[in-house]
Amino acid sequence: MRSFQRNFSVSPSCPLLPLQLPSPMETHVWFVLPAEFKSVSLLNQYMELLSPCEKENVLTMRGDQLQKRALLARALVRTTIARYQINNHVIDPRSLKFRKNVHGKPELVWKSDDGQCPSPLHFNISHTSSLIACGVTVNSPIGIDVEEKQRKIKNNILAFARRYFSLYEVEHLSMISDSEVQRQEFVKLWTLKEAYVKALGRGFSAAPFKTFTIRVKDATNSGAFEVAVESSDHPESLTNNWQFGLFELASSHYASICMEKDKTSDVAMRVPMRLTNTEKRLLQSCNRILPVAGF
Amino acid sequence: MAASTNSLISMQSRSGMAASRICSLKPVSLSNQGRSFLSFGFRSMPARSLRVSCAAKPETVEKVCEIVKKQLALAEGTPVNGESKFSALGADSLDTVEIVMGLEEAFGISVEEESAQSIATVQDAADLIEKLVEKKD
Repeated sequence: MRSFQRNFSVSPSCPLLPLQLPSPMETHVWFVLPAEFKSVSLLNQYMELLSPCEKENVLTMRGDQLQKRALLARALVRTTIARYQINNHVIDPRSLKFRKNVHGKPELVWKSDDGQCPSPLHFNISHTSSLIACGVTVNSPIGIDVEEKQRKIKNNILAFARRYFSLYEVEHLSMISDSEVQRQEFVKLWTLKEAYVKALGRGFSAAPFKTFTIRVKDATNSGAFEVAVESSDHPESLTNNWQFGLFELASSHYASICMEKDKTSDVAMRVPMRLTNTEKRLLQSCNRILPVAGF
Repeated sequence: MAASTNSLISMQSRSGMAASRICSLKPVSLSNQGRSFLSFGFRSMPARSLRVSCAAKPETVEKVCEIVKKQLALAEGTPVNGESKFSALGADSLDTVEIVMGLEEAFGISVEEESAQSIATVQDAADLIEKLVEKKD
């Protein structure tokens, strides 16, 4: 898994730099921090990249901050995907077409001779008020969820867990005596569960949180962690195909990724996390990305 | 929340779209004697009052708005009404689940995941709540 912080510009004098596609077992994660985008004229430029439908959606958000966030999310998706030039064609971010699958999950479409077909490029986004992330894979459904490390919930954590999480997860949380550590583990668990449901792409009700368990366990004493999902409803069908990664972004967020395992490869294979040096912001963000589990 | 004539008028101005329905209801004086407002209302309305069937009562919508505002820590004076979409107010999935939990506690109901997923606006939530409360009674 590779993770990069974006700063992107769209003026004609500074065209989008092309990117190499993720390899089959790889996820690329791109993220931006809304606070760093202050220029109104720049935001207006980004607005021009959006489809009429997306523009309308941005404008229904209540207030400037929420509008900016919605705008940056779409701009991030469009410019990021446009850079993965399939077959070396330069792609205008404006030209990308999206649709929702039958369950409402957004996906990219390619125009083909007989209409539209889903693209081999998969993506998923997640955001908080201070960070927007977009994960990209090739030929694998992907789910991503980000959450501020400091996120506090209004309800009591165990009451919330008893209502929404599985028995095992409630036990795991209730065994943590330090309330701050418990809160952190809760937030991590939430992002893992969300990422799984988003990767499945069938909506919250297709995999109610109570019906599956995420286990973060120390596989061997080497300190490597294993994140696995077990479903009480469909023990055979849903669960063996997915792999997870949990990491920190920009020192402020937990991020979880869930993607389909490559069925042809060894189940025990792990994707090494490597960071490349192509973005000028990258050196800064290198030390902001900390693998927590799943690598 | 007592519904004297005064407060009925103020409810009218807050949720304008329901105004025509309120007019057909006789003002009923209700007081909350430590019971949930909704269940008290269902049981004690005089027979000749018109009971609105499909959409939720303004009081329910109001209560949902309160819970939403608290969960999302919205600034004082942020307009929230029946038409407000949770996502447009900045609610993420964790907020939405917390809101549903808050509604369950406030109204003494239990919301299935499938139903929770279909809630997009405050009005949706209020309608679902009244349906579930009615089933309870």
